[in-house]
Amino acid sequence: MRLPPFEVLEPATLKNALSMLEKHKGKVKIIAGGTEIVGLMKLGLSEPPYVLSLRKIKNMKGIKKNKNQIIIRSNTTLREIIESSLINDLFKGISQAASLVAAPPIQNRATIGGNILQNSRCMYYNQSELFRNGLKPCYKAGGGMCRAVKGANRCFSVYQSDIAPALISFNAKAKLEKTGSSRTVLISDLFTGKGENPHSIGENELLTDIIIPIPKGQYSSAYEKLRIRKSLEYPLMSSAVFMSGSMNGEVTDARIVLGAAGSSPKIIDKASKVLKGKKPSNKDIETSAEAVLQFIEVADNLPVPASYRRKMAIIFTKRAIQKALNDLRKDR
Amino acid sequence: MGDFSLIGKSMKRIDTPLKATGQAQFSSDLMLPRTLIGKVLRSPYAHAKILNIDISKAEKLPGVKAVVTAKDTCADKWGVFRYTQDQQFLPTDKVRYVGEEVAAVAAVDEDTAIQALKLIKVEYEELPAVFDIKSALESGAPLVHQDHPGNINIHVNIDVGDVVKGFGESYYVREDTFTAPEDSYFQGEPYAVVAQYDHTGSLEIWMPNAGPHLKAKPLSNVLKIPLNKVRVRKIAIGGAFGGRSEICPADVICAFLARKSQRPVKLVYTREENSIATRQAHSMITTIKTGVNKEGRVISRDITCHMDGGAYSSTGPIAVSVPFLCMEQAYQMENVRYNGYRVFTNKPIRGMFRTHGRAFACGVDLQLDMIGRELGINPIEMRLRNARKVGEFTPTKSYVASCGMTETILKAGEKAGWNEKWGKLPPYYGIGIGCNSVQTGFPMGIRGGSQAFIKFNEEGGITVITGIVDNGQGNDHMIVQIAAEELGLGVCDVQLINADTEVTPSDPGSYSMCETFIGGNAVRLAAQDAKNKLLKIAAEALKVSPDELIVKDRKIYIEKSPDKSISISKAIRIALSRNESISGEGSYWPKVDSKREWVENPSGQLSETFSFGTVITEVKVDPETGKVDVLEVTAAQDVGYALNPKVIEGQFEGGIAMGGQGGMLSEYILWYNGRVLNPDQLDYMVPLALDMPKINNIIVETIDPNGPYGAKEAGMSIAMSAAQAYCGAICNAIGVDIKDFPLTPDKILNAIEKKGKEG
Amino acid sequence: MKKIMLALKINGEKYEISTYPNRTLLEILRDDLLLTGTKESCGEGACGACTVLLDGLPVRSCLLLATEAKGCEITTIEGLAKGEKLDPVQESFIEHHAIQCGFCSPGMILTARSLLNHNPAPTEEEIRFAISGNVCRCTGYTKIVEAVQALSNSGRE
Repeated sequence: MRLPPFEVLEPATLKNALSMLEKHKGKVKIIAGGTEIVGLMKLGLSEPPYVLSLRKIKNMKGIKKNKNQIIIRSNTTLREIIESSLINDLFKGISQAASLVAAPPIQNRATIGGNILQNSRCMYYNQSELFRNGLKPCYKAGGGMCRAVKGANRCFSVYQSDIAPALISFNAKAKLEKTGSSRTVLISDLFTGKGENPHSIGENELLTDIIIPIPKGQYSSAYEKLRIRKSLEYPLMSSAVFMSGSMNGEVTDARIVLGAAGSSPKIIDKASKVLKGKKPSNKDIETSAEAVLQFIEVADNLPVPASYRRKMAIIFTKRAIQKALNDLRKDR
Repeated sequence: MGDFSLIGKSMKRIDTPLKATGQAQFSSDLMLPRTLIGKVLRSPYAHAKILNIDISKAEKLPGVKAVVTAKDTCADKWGVFRYTQDQQFLPTDKVRYVGEEVAAVAAVDEDTAIQALKLIKVEYEELPAVFDIKSALESGAPLVHQDHPGNINIHVNIDVGDVVKGFGESYYVREDTFTAPEDSYFQGEPYAVVAQYDHTGSLEIWMPNAGPHLKAKPLSNVLKIPLNKVRVRKIAIGGAFGGRSEICPADVICAFLARKSQRPVKLVYTREENSIATRQAHSMITTIKTGVNKEGRVISRDITCHMDGGAYSSTGPIAVSVPFLCMEQAYQMENVRYNGYRVFTNKPIRGMFRTHGRAFACGVDLQLDMIGRELGINPIEMRLRNARKVGEFTPTKSYVASCGMTETILKAGEKAGWNEKWGKLPPYYGIGIGCNSVQTGFPMGIRGGSQAFIKFNEEGGITVITGIVDNGQGNDHMIVQIAAEELGLGVCDVQLINADTEVTPSDPGSYSMCETFIGGNAVRLAAQDAKNKLLKIAAEALKVSPDELIVKDRKIYIEKSPDKSISISKAIRIALSRNESISGEGSYWPKVDSKREWVENPSGQLSETFSFGTVITEVKVDPETGKVDVLEVTAAQDVGYALNPKVIEGQFEGGIAMGGQGGMLSEYILWYNGRVLNPDQLDYMVPLALDMPKINNIIVETIDPNGPYGAKEAGMSIAMSAAQAYCGAICNAIGVDIKDFPLTPDKILNAIEKKGKEG
Repeated sequence: MKKIMLALKINGEKYEISTYPNRTLLEILRDDLLLTGTKESCGEGACGACTVLLDGLPVRSCLLLATEAKGCEITTIEGLAKGEKLDPVQESFIEHHAIQCGFCSPGMILTARSLLNHNPAPTEEEIRFAISGNVCRCTGYTKIVEAVQALSNSGRE
């Protein structure tokens, strides 16, 4: 499969990169690890006139502790994150999520920035020109229909990042820079919730930092991922749980975020509420897990049925909660 | 068995060093000077009339050297059998599946070729299409081929004994229907063809194939050139698994492009094209009615199977028959009726597959478990009571000359600890068994035999010339191993010329599990022929009679006085100095019934011998997720004799991965109106290294009277037995019989939940 | 598109290639440099047949823009053997029958080589994890794992 024609921009500094993004706004795609964008271009789903490489920019990789937060530069590879004992010690769920992305060769190139900003996916969209030839374009392709859900009035493509739900469970933030200004937002605020265009990031903006506040006191985290085989696949459903506890064993805070459960990560406040302010019983865990169903969107657009994924949303949330709870109890 | 130097030893294969260094050349690696890149234009419709094809703009694009459409061909219809001629490689009137070839270009580079395709304008008139067996069979359904009413492509009917009477006499009768969607080969190497057609009117062509001679003849027919002008060349092949047997459009298209441009053309398929435009495996609906006596012995069986064949016949009659034949070889049955139907649909073409018919084989075996449960008989006992035995005839009258079925059941059972585990495992743990049998070839008329030649160089080294082809299973090494053994040489003394239709004599090919049996026998006979000539010379020199001599370690010895010897190279030189050339020739034609025909006369000796095997699988099911952890697999196979045990083990392990782990747990094609949704290895879930369980390999050797050194086959049967064993184990683990395969977690969970509600 | 000059270091050798920017490393290796040991089996990063080592780590060369490989040490299967002497991983694969059709072998061998370079004593689980992104359709992986285990210094003989 051949790539469409494009020009490669290779800025040597962040400043240059930002001005190139400004200059070619709307016509440029960023290449970090390349594991997503190259595939999309081969399928003919993305044909940017310019591809902007982050390769030459110094200091776009690295994990640093800065007072009470960890800052990960956006071009840090998943492998560097997996091998970071700092991340593993402080943010187990994030470390687990990174280690479950695809398979090691992908992890060696894929970056945390790229993983967060990956496009949503759907079996009916992520196909070659051979497949799409003769078919009307769907919502995600700029058309007016959905092949996955008959009669749908919007896109049901699935956001399948492993890392984003885990980051969101830790209230992580993202720094976005453009020429002349920058903004820092919660990672959860990066999402539109719309499958057509899942991210609310400007065409001239570059994600530069992921900032994870180090929680105070005792806490634990977990990430559970559903896939059919034991490697390679995108999540079919996933659950990231963060939990903090007090000395007497009560859960003081909990955050449950589901992945592959819609066009954006789903923060399930209702599920978290069930666990807070008490020592959760098994019944509480069940109730919490079952609460996710109301807030997730699942369609038959991945290789396993939606009905199964819905059931697994509960099971995997339950397991993630249990894991986090066990870790919390162990630490005392 | 005798004391062999090389045979029976786990030797390193001769071909693997070049594969380890990346030096082995596969079709897409070939670099001929001035090669053009070929690309195919494919139909976007599942069923449509071709009204017009305008190639004028494409032809004019700079860099385009040839454009072909049906107009460049004779538009003859081709078929594997005379009565299945339904495929034009570039259709004239209509397209029958999404992805069917419509036109092709050859250009100086890939980008130009792709651009040229975009300039070809095809006008279609879309027609209604059918996408599954049920719709295709409905009255009034659109016809894929006008001359096949009801969309029935092939009907095989086998009727032996009296099934109705048999049911009447049965103690217990049950009927079940089993279904499975398509699965597919996913060979490592995507299909690729390189063709060169020069001004002598000769075609030289390379492609992954399971029988170069079976590619050459159809190419000769289609291109209308004499057979000896078609040279299908030897090339490293990245797997076949049954999907690269007969000629396919890519071969013909590439040859036409090469002829028209008078330059070499390379046509490399994408993974998607390999998945939709070569072959896939049939989906099936199989209804099995079985009657048994009180002891669980099958008295009568009636099977109806509908297979979705896709848009063209391919190896239709064979595909319809093989699942039945494997079963009738594996199990005894006096009364059996089979109605197998291959149905046309507007989907990619289906062919033979290593795990052929999971909805057939797994149905038969699962039903044996169900029957056993009803009668209070253990599954392994059910297999033992029904197992094929040596010296019997199959219902369609094949004599079974060697059979280790019972031995494989007992050995697998012992190794797997069946008696300690059956009925005693904790909840959601299960153990299951599958038995199957595979034929070593089938009647192929004038192409059913194999011939080999051996020539010597003046130093006593040899070249073996044979049509045997290696798809990766180790056939190249097998040839060299046999020849070297017979002639007392080392592997390094043997050169190999094989699978080249200009040079090598005819051979039936590797897709029917017959290379070792038929091809190997021919090589052995050729080597023995050469050996006899050497022995005559040595006998003279040593003043003994030839039958007192043996060959070993590059020498010819007097068996009783081994210090008296003459080297092979000396014997050769003696011959040459007497102006005598020494060579060997051997051919082997299996003793099969040449009157046996798949549809017209499905009776008589099918193949000279059969392999038999048993797989036992142990699993643990997670009742919350339906996911299956495969704990251990034990595979016992009667291979006749293991020429190279490690190679055989590799076949067992690969078969378990494909048939069991993939075929029963995660492999299925997903569809959207005739379009494949999962054409690559990400969404079509072939097993990965982390998924595979511990495997115990048990090689059972019954020493077939006719196989070379007693060898039979080991390439296919295990894949099917594994699927069966995985199925039985999972159903045992959850206490529910699921009849729709593969057993994906969602189906398993649904079954568990349903049982919970009913229980 | 304007052509660019691409400077790549492959198997210790420097190459200067005049080409277009929209080329993957896999295409450059196979089509321009005739290093056909690296294979394309899916083109989408799902199978690992295209694996090369980039600064010692296995990556999908079919998803790697050639321009992104500038300044890196690229190792292909052709770069493992030292003249006539095969790499121990190659020897072990041959010895243990870890190669059948051979199409996945270059990628598999390089992945195994990289694993052993970074972890000289991997457990079975670690080996299977390391090669979990490399699809083999022939072997069922058993003998591939055995071939790597034989080179593992984990105290097993």
